[in-house]
Amino acid sequence: MITRHHRNRLTATLAAATASLLVLAGCAGGAGSTGAAPDANAEIIVGSQNEPTNLDQIFGGSSGVTEVFTGNVYEGLFRITDDAEVEPLLAAETEVSEDGLTYTFTLQDATFHSGAPLTAEAVKYSLERFIGEESIAARKSQLSVIDTVTAVDDKTVEVTLSSKSISFTYNLGYVWIVNPEAGDLTAAADGTGPYSLGDYRKGDSITLDVNDDYWGDAPANGGVVYQYYADPTALNNALVTGAVDLVTSQSNPDSLAEFESGDYEIIEGTSTTKELLAFNDRVAPFDDVNVRKAVYSAIDREQLLDAIWDGRGQLIGSMVPPSEPWYLDLADNNPYDPELSADLLADAGYADGFSFTIDTPDSGVHSTVAEFLQTELAKVGVTVDINIITDDEWYEKVYTDHDFEATLQGHVNDRDINFYGNPDFYWGYDDAEVQGWLAEAEQADSTEQQTELITQVNQKISDDAASVWLYLNPQLRIVRDGITGVPENGLNSLFYVYDIQEA
Amino acid sequence: MLLLAFALAVVILFVVLRLLGNPVYALISVGATDEEIAAAAARLGVDRPILEQFGDYVLQLTRLDLGRSFTNNLPVGDEILRRLNVTLPLTVLAFLLSVVIAVPVGFIAAWRSRTWYGTAFSAVSQLGGAVPVFWVGILLVTALALNARIFPAGGFPRTDWEDPGAALLALTLPVLTIAIVSGSDLARYVRSATLDVLGQQYMRAARATGQSFAGAFVRHGIRNGIVPVISILAIQLSTTFVGAVIVERVFALPGLGDMLLVAIQEQDFPSVQGVLLVSTTLVLLLGFVADVVQRIIDPRLRASVSGNRRARAIA
Repeated sequence: MITRHHRNRLTATLAAATASLLVLAGCAGGAGSTGAAPDANAEIIVGSQNEPTNLDQIFGGSSGVTEVFTGNVYEGLFRITDDAEVEPLLAAETEVSEDGLTYTFTLQDATFHSGAPLTAEAVKYSLERFIGEESIAARKSQLSVIDTVTAVDDKTVEVTLSSKSISFTYNLGYVWIVNPEAGDLTAAADGTGPYSLGDYRKGDSITLDVNDDYWGDAPANGGVVYQYYADPTALNNALVTGAVDLVTSQSNPDSLAEFESGDYEIIEGTSTTKELLAFNDRVAPFDDVNVRKAVYSAIDREQLLDAIWDGRGQLIGSMVPPSEPWYLDLADNNPYDPELSADLLADAGYADGFSFTIDTPDSGVHSTVAEFLQTELAKVGVTVDINIITDDEWYEKVYTDHDFEATLQGHVNDRDINFYGNPDFYWGYDDAEVQGWLAEAEQADSTEQQTELITQVNQKISDDAASVWLYLNPQLRIVRDGITGVPENGLNSLFYVYDIQEA
Repeated sequence: MLLLAFALAVVILFVVLRLLGNPVYALISVGATDEEIAAAAARLGVDRPILEQFGDYVLQLTRLDLGRSFTNNLPVGDEILRRLNVTLPLTVLAFLLSVVIAVPVGFIAAWRSRTWYGTAFSAVSQLGGAVPVFWVGILLVTALALNARIFPAGGFPRTDWEDPGAALLALTLPVLTIAIVSGSDLARYVRSATLDVLGQQYMRAARATGQSFAGAFVRHGIRNGIVPVISILAIQLSTTFVGAVIVERVFALPGLGDMLLVAIQEQDFPSVQGVLLVSTTLVLLLGFVADVVQRIIDPRLRASVSGNRRARAIA
């Protein structure tokens, strides 16, 4: 009897607890629908998985630091817009000499967050730092055309180039102008942007405070926090519970369904991240164009894209995404056609197939892609061995030592077709014509001429199947209702936050 | 002995880490040239002979300096202190809660081992000890954060403990997660220790002198039963500390475990070494404290070395 009594009380307690939980849940759900006027003081919480290793772009800060700092905390002489256009930023005026070798910049009246004025000396320091010996910045080699930088007066900088460079101003869009007095920038910041660095908590968050003395238009929000999550599920949970207002890049399409209905907006823009099956074009059998084309045509990329990105994203047939001026629709240039593939293999003398190893980084989706390729290529008699390696091993084995047959990699940079003009690059594509066109394009007098030449390169590397360009990643951002002004496209991780506001 | 073990740990750690890979590759991006890679290695100092690097590191350690991070050049010691703000409260609270759960559960499971709820208690503790900690975490997040919205699903206040309420709220689910799993483990030890004590002659003798069960248990039982439990507690506290690594990831907490994982990914050797040395030291200290406490409680351990061995053997 006593037992029975206890049990009843337990049931009652449980029922009461459940009821109170439901009430609490109801309260939590009810809150949140506020007025519609934009709130310029609202703090925006950005959720991201792309935490920078450190805060300096010239020392391995990688794409994470571009996402949080470029255009927000630091500004360049130029800005690259969301539509991949170049517009002046800290360079109020630009004069180019007849021969295209001398650039004279007149600077904006801007101040650094520490209060120091923006001077020609600071620009000189910043440019020289970027191409200096210690720098491992992503665009260092392209900007190494800079020969001298001279501070003519306080507000005038003269840059001379060792050879003409049509993409010079574009590349300058990525170079931060920093305060020379600031010293080590791996954990601190001093720029001219609309935000100053508030707090840097490695492994957790980076806080950007509004810079009240900003020389341009004030931001539409009252500050931004980048909250970092190593675990994609934790990031999703944060979005669901309102701990973050938006997610910069959704890497897992499986969880999209959760946000498709309800109080979120999914923004699909174009990224510049291309998933590549890169051959080592130096070694047999991949030194043979027919073999490369055979592999390309053996892969049903549409099915792959469907499997990985659930139909989002885009098929490409070359290194160039639609956002770049020299884009051509080459998606069907090496069509999915197993019969064609078998014929090409026979022509190349591999009628009975062959086998090769794909060095596959263990990050991201690469191993899933590798398994798919294994199945597809087996159908034309080609055996694929998958060798899983870490990202660091990839840099050592594949990138530096060129000790591989084929590999998978996501190439994130914009305008990175010029890697095909470098025979020493890890994939070792060596074509004199392509190298000539690319060199000529950089020396071009007009962007039309540049575009024409690189378009030729685009066609050629596709015809040669220099690599297999599997697909272009979509840029998926998820934004909670009531947040506007979020940049759409993912140009090499650029993410300007100053227009984001809460309604 | 302790010092020797510590020194050995330092050497092994140092050598193994450097065999694992080259930290430069974690910093460069596609497009970097061979010269840039060499320059980066020089900046980190990893291009020098390994003996020279080791010598420098030991010198640093003697100054109680853990060095600077390879990635962001911040002092590793400061970073560890900041992370302890999260990990220490998490571990201690989880440990206390697990004791609060384990002692009554384990005791009742032993004392009333023949009743249905005694059996149920021990079944539940078996189950709790068997499930993986991340799974418990995910379950709690789904129920109490995503559905009921009572607690945050993860994260820690950016102001640390300035707002203790918010900090505690952020730690509730992680603490609960660890406490459920390690409390279940602990309950099994409490149960077997209690069963052991209840079957002893001295308990029967004490009852025969007219003492109540409770009196006999408190006066004689606890004192005897608690000695092996203390060794387990020390081990358990260390495991809780280690278990925090997984829990911190599930709950996106910026603690020491998270620091270790990221540092390993980024091949940030000074940070990896720092975290491992600090946690090794803490675990060694705990073992030492447990030994001392055992000796205070059990006079037999003070008398002879063999007694000490016996206690260890039980542990």
